[in-house]
Amino acid sequence: MRGLVAGVVAVLVAGGSAPARTPPPDALAAVRARGTLRWGGDMQGGEPYVFQDPRDGRLVGFEVELADALARRLGVRAAFVQADWHHLVPSLERGDFDVILNGLEVTAARRGRVAFTRPYYAFAETLVVRRDGPAFDSLAALAGRRVGTLGGSLAADVVAAAPGVRAVLYEGVEEPYGDLERGRIDAVVLDDVIAARYGLVRPALRLAALVGEGTYAVAVRPDAPALLGAVDAALGALVASGELRAILERWRLWNDRQTALAAVAAAPGDAPPARLGGVHVALFLRAAANTLVITALAMAIAAAGGLSLALVRRSGGRVARGAVTGYVELFRGTPVLLQLYVLYYGLAPVVALDAFTAAVLGLGLNYAAYEAELYRAGLEAVPAGQTEAALALGMSHGQALRRIVLPQALRTALPGVTNDFIALLKDSSLVSVITVVELTKQMTITAVDLRGWLVPGLLCAALYLALSYPLARLARRLERRLAPAAA
Amino acid sequence: MTGAPVIAIRNLRVVRGATEVVRGVDLEVGRGEVIAVVGPSGSGKSTLLRALNYLTPFTEGEVTIAGHRLRPGLCERRDAALLRAVRRRVGMVFQSFHLFPHLTALENVATAPRHVLGLVAGEAERRARALLDRVGLATHADAHPHALSGGQQQRVAIARALAMEPAALLLDEPTSALDPGLVGEVLEVVADLAARGQTMVVVTHEMAFARRVADRVVVLAGGRVVESGPPDAVLDRPRAPETRALLGLDPG
Repeated sequence: MRGLVAGVVAVLVAGGSAPARTPPPDALAAVRARGTLRWGGDMQGGEPYVFQDPRDGRLVGFEVELADALARRLGVRAAFVQADWHHLVPSLERGDFDVILNGLEVTAARRGRVAFTRPYYAFAETLVVRRDGPAFDSLAALAGRRVGTLGGSLAADVVAAAPGVRAVLYEGVEEPYGDLERGRIDAVVLDDVIAARYGLVRPALRLAALVGEGTYAVAVRPDAPALLGAVDAALGALVASGELRAILERWRLWNDRQTALAAVAAAPGDAPPARLGGVHVALFLRAAANTLVITALAMAIAAAGGLSLALVRRSGGRVARGAVTGYVELFRGTPVLLQLYVLYYGLAPVVALDAFTAAVLGLGLNYAAYEAELYRAGLEAVPAGQTEAALALGMSHGQALRRIVLPQALRTALPGVTNDFIALLKDSSLVSVITVVELTKQMTITAVDLRGWLVPGLLCAALYLALSYPLARLARRLERRLAPAAA
Repeated sequence: MTGAPVIAIRNLRVVRGATEVVRGVDLEVGRGEVIAVVGPSGSGKSTLLRALNYLTPFTEGEVTIAGHRLRPGLCERRDAALLRAVRRRVGMVFQSFHLFPHLTALENVATAPRHVLGLVAGEAERRARALLDRVGLATHADAHPHALSGGQQQRVAIARALAMEPAALLLDEPTSALDPGLVGEVLEVVADLAARGQTMVVVTHEMAFARRVADRVVVLAGGRVVESGPPDAVLDRPRAPETRALLGLDPG
């Protein structure tokens, strides 16, 4: 047994750190044998990178054309693999595809994990603000302000490096500009390609300054030098032949910066990989507090709302009962993620909730549907004789409900409610999609900083457990105290 | 019987679905009087009793009780004030007790005086303790119902009803759910109430008990009163064949 464990550990260590004794067959040979170059990207990045043509759903974009041209040079076909942009590097490491070709910025942090070809595009980080707002002209002027950007991007590093600026991290490129227009944030920092298409097309917004520059390049696994060499050479050939320029011009991306591609220096904000330190722990603790507050407030809404729904369902009119049933089915039958999107982005033109409010409200409204069902079951479990006995004593229906029926119903519902409380604690991680930084989001941010998921992941898990375990204990004690101490 | 009757029932009919459960009952109960309602299962005894505080709505007729008049078609919501006024003055004891399981014996008894009559907490508690003492449960004040025997639970239920100082007490088969050994303690309490002049209507199967405490025995069969009168007369010299059948006698 011990020998087996030791063997497994040895294999893990060997696989995890030092290169294996027999080098793996190079990815280039695999690409040639397969006849396809699998390239990873995220369609959510939108025009002009990789996106679906709205007319026929075909995949288009300058990176699609670039991938096709590169594959042609390698004598194979290009095959697109969809992946979440934030997880492109881990997906590459897992072998989901051969290369990343999707606006991946060349940074020192990424160089530690992947190998980059020569760059194929040079961009500038643009600071976009509202026309009618204060005349911000630099990041320094935005100290204490909220600045939106794409999580995990070079732009996010630029914002994070600006002292006093509060970064608001988005998952997509459309939403930050929408929120800027509505005044939820004070500025947006993103690549000029994005700014030109999603930000500056809005008349209310203007370009304030360029606050950094960088390049996109193709990334391959560091253990595939032959593939790296082949793709780099193919890219070089595309540059030399003018094919790359033709593609970029077709997408209106050609500008002066591209002519000096090879000379581009590392972008500001580039930093050596950080080590887990006191700052990270402090950030984690703050995120944990945020998670706890969101959970507690959402649960308060869910508990009160669920009880109201259950009571209307019990004794309301036919229309009211139907409405409650509709509410419960709607909120139980659709993903909470969708509800958060609708609440924060969908309703923004009507009522622009701030992210925290939307998070608490969204989770609370969703869980209210579940609590309503728990309370309903609890109410139905109280025998009719209890109400009769209360009425026979001269109590009003309200008193009978409040003093006799509800205490018994809540006791029945309690185990389910506390269970939901713990589930909600974990579901609160979903609110990161509407820019709230809670525990899970902090974990992904730190993981990018540290270039590794293990330590932040364990820290994150430990904090969730530290929150949920006392909650479970408290719930059990509450149940024991309230239990009718079954005879 | 002195003064106006506490309960006056005129031509009471209760139809449930397609069945007429009570088919025209007339009955008066005077102050301090104890009425035992007996009859076979399904004769409408419990329905008649529950119609008196309108827990079961009736279809026709009229009930005057504790100075209030009940009529068919009352609504729990619209006529809440009238129904509460009646129920405040009319106590009820159920076959299966219906004690509030989340409250102690003392709280079960004190809750209505406190929250319906509006007594201050201390006053309601004093009243509850005195009543628990009267039913022999002074030492069980802090016990929850599940920790009490069936007989003890029913005695708490009686104390709970008495705490409202009711003009009339309705008891619906108060010993039917009890083990035989526990019946006696409950009947003792009811007999004691009778001796103190509490106006009561008791639906029961206990003939010996009816004979001992009732001023009058009313025999119900098929939703009608087939015979009524002093216990000796009804139980010793029954005239109606239904009464004879109930007592296990030859149809005569």
